[in-house]
Amino acid sequence: MSNRMLTLMMGMVAFLILAVGAVFVIALAGGSDDDDTTPGASGDDERPRSSGDGICSGNSLIVPGSDPASVLDPIQVADVATSEYVVEIFGGLVTLDTDLKVQPDIAQEWEVSNGGKTYTFKLRDNVVFHTGNTRRVTAEDVKYSIERAADPANASPTARAYLGNIAGLRDRYENKAASVSGVKVIDDRTIQIDLVEPSDYFLSELTYPVAFVVDRQQIESNPRNWTQKPNGTGPFRLAEFKPAEKIRLIRNDRYHLGAPKLDEVVFELGGGSLLTRYENDEIHIGYVPASLLDSVKDGSNPIAKDYQAVPNMAVFYFTLNPQKAPFDDPKVRQAFATAIDRKTVNSVLLYDAYRAADGFLPPEMPGYSESVKVYEYDVQKAKQLLAESKYAGNLPRIVLSYSGSGAAPGELLVALQEGWQDALGVTIELQAIDSSAFLREQRRGNFQMHSDGWSADYPDPEDFLGKLFASDSTLNYTRYSNAEVDRLLLAARTEQDRTRRFQMYTQAEQLILDDAVVIPTFWPVEHVLVKPCVQGYPAVSMTVPKYRFVEIKAE
Amino acid sequence: MGPGLLGYTVRRLLWAVPVLFIISVVVFYMLRLAPGDPVDAILGQRFQEDQAAILRKKYGYDQPVHIQYLKYIQNLAKGDLGVSTRHQQFTVSEVIIPKIWVSTRLGFIAIVISFTLGTAAGVYAALARGTFLDPLTISFWLAVDAIPVFVAAPALMWLFALKLDLVGLGWRGFASANIILPILVLSLPGTAGIARFVRASVLGVLQEDYVRTARAKGLPERTVVLTHIARNALLPLITVIGLALPGVAGGSLVVEQLFGIPGIGREGFDAVLAPDFDVILALVLFGSFLFVMANIAIDLLYAVIDPRVRVGAARG
Repeated sequence: MSNRMLTLMMGMVAFLILAVGAVFVIALAGGSDDDDTTPGASGDDERPRSSGDGICSGNSLIVPGSDPASVLDPIQVADVATSEYVVEIFGGLVTLDTDLKVQPDIAQEWEVSNGGKTYTFKLRDNVVFHTGNTRRVTAEDVKYSIERAADPANASPTARAYLGNIAGLRDRYENKAASVSGVKVIDDRTIQIDLVEPSDYFLSELTYPVAFVVDRQQIESNPRNWTQKPNGTGPFRLAEFKPAEKIRLIRNDRYHLGAPKLDEVVFELGGGSLLTRYENDEIHIGYVPASLLDSVKDGSNPIAKDYQAVPNMAVFYFTLNPQKAPFDDPKVRQAFATAIDRKTVNSVLLYDAYRAADGFLPPEMPGYSESVKVYEYDVQKAKQLLAESKYAGNLPRIVLSYSGSGAAPGELLVALQEGWQDALGVTIELQAIDSSAFLREQRRGNFQMHSDGWSADYPDPEDFLGKLFASDSTLNYTRYSNAEVDRLLLAARTEQDRTRRFQMYTQAEQLILDDAVVIPTFWPVEHVLVKPCVQGYPAVSMTVPKYRFVEIKAE
Repeated sequence: MGPGLLGYTVRRLLWAVPVLFIISVVVFYMLRLAPGDPVDAILGQRFQEDQAAILRKKYGYDQPVHIQYLKYIQNLAKGDLGVSTRHQQFTVSEVIIPKIWVSTRLGFIAIVISFTLGTAAGVYAALARGTFLDPLTISFWLAVDAIPVFVAAPALMWLFALKLDLVGLGWRGFASANIILPILVLSLPGTAGIARFVRASVLGVLQEDYVRTARAKGLPERTVVLTHIARNALLPLITVIGLALPGVAGGSLVVEQLFGIPGIGREGFDAVLAPDFDVILALVLFGSFLFVMANIAIDLLYAVIDPRVRVGAARG
């Protein structure tokens, strides 16, 4: 190598080192301008980068969160992500505990009269809003909140669905009345709500955000931007919201059901590699993707002991459109229902990420009955059913639609597709449609067969069976209609005796499954990791206020 | 800047207006005509026709498309980019500006690094031509380039965060050392392309007569390399840099996803899937604007640097 070459080489190396160094200096120093903007936050936000006791020494819980889609206004919430925050910030007359039982919140007690059509709530006298001195919540606040939800000008996407049983609410929502006639203030601490028909699950409906109490003074003084600093009665209040970065909720010391033990809950919205971040002691709660489940649960993995399976009150299923060939023939539907091997798919392909569904209602649902059964997996019987159908030997090609963004279909769908093809000798084509177009086509009943799911809004079988299968329900997109099922669902809706109600739902559910218009496949499970120093984190299958039960205890 | 150049600049800028107009019309209509709209996404499975009607009215989707377009342009002129249906708590500007700013800074740092490294490696490889150092340099950077981000990122995370405990993985802004890994992942793969481009360019220049003349005159090697070779060889790099710059503001979906960076790449991706009309429109228009401006800037820069281009510009 020539001397000139050598000089050149040395020069280059020196240059490279300098250049990289310079850029890092710029990168590290140049950004400092925007990171001290956190106003009045509890000192510096910078935590120790990572160290075992760092995360367990403070009193602030760091969890992964999602960006809320709706504004933080209870009557606008229509997505799970926003509910997660709204249930912590606000409260209503009643709430759900972590066992999904209805518990008093702003109301202290209530009486049901008039054959189940009148509810009279007595309010607590120590419920105050987060800010705005110590204004006590009165019956007027409750009335205002329900009136506001029903006001058509506010275009609440959920008011009619959850509060539609309140007398006069529909009229107000459709602008036929100036106020909701069924909500009456008796005195400062008493409110009476009249219903259209008696309902055993009305209190469950009242636990949904749309029934939460909001601060009239705040909304009227700042109608446009009050949700930036929402004033509620919940266990936490919003301290900071940086889109795509974080939401910080801090403790409400005066919370009437007992102040939270944590100082704050920080929801990190960025996502990133959650499992790695969990292992690196940056977050207290982590989620395990199904593909890594096996390696996390493996006993030799140090985080195996942190693992918790949290069931989700939801169900995945396939809908076979009885309006379209070949599913107009019940035999074909039953053949499909009989030829699906949930257990093998779940254990072999999914590392038991789900639970194989042997009914439609998930086991967490009040009124769940083990006696309800789907068709047992039996290839011979499925073949026989198909041979008995009017499409025997000339089954048309079947298109199975699912909501997806055009990437390859998940392994799960492919496995089920193969299973049907092998067992029944049919050709099934998978068709991905982007989510909002999928919903639209589904509503129009355009699919022959599609993959679907439903999750609970409130813990009552009515929310699954009544909403999806009553022939007069506006959410019954499959246009499923069975006179006996309708009779049972209608009777169950107004039945006051809970045991009898649940029996009716069990009967209806079995009839629905026998008709095989829907084939439930799996009940989902969330795979959660919880740091050992986090105590009291409830494994709850719905979105309920839960962070006030959590505390951090350094070992 | 001569009078010819000024006229040229004005003409180019005026041409940008119809280009942006056409883009905005096409994108606006494409969004409106595609099946499924933000209201479907908001109401999801609990969709009710009358509730949808109320929401469509609220967002103005019930109007004919051309009226919606005119309203949009009217608001745009006032600096109002509309509302995001995916982040109803914020306006479109509040959603996208901080994210664009994050992505731009991140991308800019990455681009500075990859151009510096790439130029150095390219010049070096060209001068080392004929020795094993030339293929070694280029192959090294090609190998780096060949590692997919979703392999490189977890590997770097494992090494630097879990094993060595030098950095954390969450987003803590630009002042934190956590930014180093995403910058590495963003910048290193781009280096190979630049290096090869620069190498080819330098090799071309090396054969020019004026280089031989300079050497024959007995100029010191440093002067020959820096003033005669580098200056001429790096001129074409302006185009590459110029066209890469608008992309910087677009962010990187994968890197942002892996490191939880609140950047515009992820926002854009999610907005398209939702769909979130006003956010998509704002991003497309912003991107087109940058691209058109970068093109104009490159052409002008050439005109300033290279007199031959200027003459052509004055004529045309």
